[in-house]
Amino acid sequence: METILSIGIDIGTSTTSMVMSRFLFENTASHFTIPRISIIEKRVMYRSKIYLTPFRSDGLIDIEKLKEILSVEYKNAGITPKDIETGAVIITGESSRKENAKLVTETMSMLAGDFVVASAGPDLESIIAGKGSGAYQFSIDNNCAVVNLDIGGGTTNIAAFKSGEITAKGCFNIGGRLITYNNEQRVTYISPSIKPIIEDIGIDIRSGTKITEENIVKICDTMAEVLVQAVTNNNKNHLAFVGADLYSLMETKESACFKQESMPDYICFSGGVAEAIYNPDIDPYQYNDIGIFLARSISKSRLCKDFNIYQAKETIRATVIGAGSYTTRVSGSTISFSESMIFPLKNLPAFVVGESIEKECMEGISDSYKKECKWFMEQTNAEKIIFCFRKVKNPSYNEVCNIAKVVSEAASCNLEENIPLLVLTEDDFAKSLGQILHRFIGNMRKIVCIDGIKVDSNDYVDIGKPLMNGIAIPVVVKTLIYG
Amino acid sequence: MTEKEIIDQITALVIRELQKNKNTLQKHEKIEQRSDAPKLPAKLVEQGTSADNDKSVSTLEEQKAAITVKDPKDISVLQQMKKLTPARVCVGKAGPRLRTSTSLALRADHAAARDAVMRDVDEKVLEKMDLFSVQTLCSSRNEHLTRPDLGRQFSKETLDLIKSKCKPNPKVQVYVSDGLSSQAVDANCADILPALFDGLKNFGIEAGTPFFVKFGRCPSEDVISETLGAEVVCLLIGERPGLATANSMSAYIAYKATVGMSESRRTVVSNIHKGGTPAIEAGAHIAELIKVILERKASGVELQR
Repeated sequence: METILSIGIDIGTSTTSMVMSRFLFENTASHFTIPRISIIEKRVMYRSKIYLTPFRSDGLIDIEKLKEILSVEYKNAGITPKDIETGAVIITGESSRKENAKLVTETMSMLAGDFVVASAGPDLESIIAGKGSGAYQFSIDNNCAVVNLDIGGGTTNIAAFKSGEITAKGCFNIGGRLITYNNEQRVTYISPSIKPIIEDIGIDIRSGTKITEENIVKICDTMAEVLVQAVTNNNKNHLAFVGADLYSLMETKESACFKQESMPDYICFSGGVAEAIYNPDIDPYQYNDIGIFLARSISKSRLCKDFNIYQAKETIRATVIGAGSYTTRVSGSTISFSESMIFPLKNLPAFVVGESIEKECMEGISDSYKKECKWFMEQTNAEKIIFCFRKVKNPSYNEVCNIAKVVSEAASCNLEENIPLLVLTEDDFAKSLGQILHRFIGNMRKIVCIDGIKVDSNDYVDIGKPLMNGIAIPVVVKTLIYG
Repeated sequence: MTEKEIIDQITALVIRELQKNKNTLQKHEKIEQRSDAPKLPAKLVEQGTSADNDKSVSTLEEQKAAITVKDPKDISVLQQMKKLTPARVCVGKAGPRLRTSTSLALRADHAAARDAVMRDVDEKVLEKMDLFSVQTLCSSRNEHLTRPDLGRQFSKETLDLIKSKCKPNPKVQVYVSDGLSSQAVDANCADILPALFDGLKNFGIEAGTPFFVKFGRCPSEDVISETLGAEVVCLLIGERPGLATANSMSAYIAYKATVGMSESRRTVVSNIHKGGTPAIEAGAHIAELIKVILERKASGVELQR
């Protein structure tokens, strides 16, 4: 058994928080088979306060304040960055659109610990929030379809889970802090992303004008209606009343189109606004934003009338718990690496090819693979990449030899000298691939081969320090999309 | 909706799904295991399967993968269950018994398991892997099954032959035996041996000359180890077949094995087959295990300490 500490940091549109979790790893295989390392327990050990995300007067995120928050919270938790072995910093919602978003996450991940990775991207956030809220696990335990809506300050992240599989994901510019006002109820901020709704319903609301409850409710009702439409996909029993134009204007640019094949069995709300959905009796003006009005609009919408509600285990902390507890995975237990000093490896772009080219690799044909590799290196402008094989299943020894040959050729054409050769396979053959690669390229490069991990194109891969005497390795698969 | 309209709709749906189902089956996909598979009433699945009966091997596999419970309340639960086990669950029943198709599949698997035990290893496989062949004291398959004691002994002539053909005093002696499944040898040899030897070579471990033992039992490795003076002996042997697979192989590895030593000194890697540990990964894993055994100068329970 082995334990590691993981940290999650969520820098959101309106709030920032941190959690610390402990993972327990164990070899769950019997003595008579090859080992199988799994995470058998995840326990949240420490939850930080919820802070308002600090902004500077020029509107950018205040890195210095964030650093302060982190060091205070580390002190309160009684740990140092050295104790942290894995984790993720995620920047979400409108914060991810700030010009210094990338710098913020990179700085924070460096400060937080050796293998704490930076991540961003609306779809990743949707999945992380759905896992953190408990919706994902609920869908497994009850063998049902659950849609999780994480409604934050700037965005609503939607993810659909069916018996533990992610069936749809998406993101909308709908949130509780898209309009804020002062104590005289005069508007202090209107996000550009909410303008389409304001124009659509034709009301006059500008910076400095006094808000009226009627106008706010109208706006929030329309926002809720967009979410109804997203979840129901205009199913004929659940027709929504939002025009297609407005609907697509409200979709977050970098996100996937949220589309499910069938209606969910349950709906789950997380995020800051969700708290007010579950507890509606609070003063709607107390946060000087529209969050509680939005919660009320959602409560009376058909999301709450037509569907069963699964009450989230975590609301405002769903994303940060997801980032701390659900980003790290453990590789298969037959892997190969030539040196453990080279870890952690961070921000490796996943080089993914289509099924037909993977087939060519199995036959030892390298032309198109090399070509794609060259193109990919140019596109990503990265020094290191990770070669990924997703569709190869149960390869024979000869096929693995062919793949090794093709990969080593592609590496020698495209990688600089001394850059390690990194390979990731979904199916269980990394150890033998690693050994064969070693035969091909000897000590010219370091080699890392891991398996049992799923990746998609546009993903990035981070690899931590080996666990349990090097039997397995923690891996984070993520996106890095800044708005 | 009138009753007739409902019936018409259902009929159209059934025809469409049947068509879909047929296409899927032709592509040799196990539709029940796909998470996005259309939710078919169980009856249709059964019909769809039998419509494609002529391809015997894949059909048996497909039949085993199919859910044949009649009118399940929620087929997705059964699909989840099926995903978790290769056992024959969700097959329904006829009165108190199995249905004919389930029963036939069971008997077919049982026959395959028996065949795996009773038949010999394919000579071509041994030739291709360049393995010469020797035999234990057992003179027939029947004797092999009934006299385990003979399956661990060799005649003096056989031992002399082995000595004359193999490199003496190797760091590690690898050899293959049929054990209780010749089929396991056929299925895995071509992948596990090169992967294993590749791995050993990478670690700079010199391996002896591999060969094949007919009618072998696990403790035969003690004799081989003593005879050749190997530091580590590794026997790749066919496992007793079950009804899930007849292709499973095990590796029994021992440090300085001696005749009569305790069984606890063997390190075992079992379940080497397509559905368990793939042969190539097992080969690579065993190479590393042998490296550790050589470093620690111990195997079996001692190695776990």
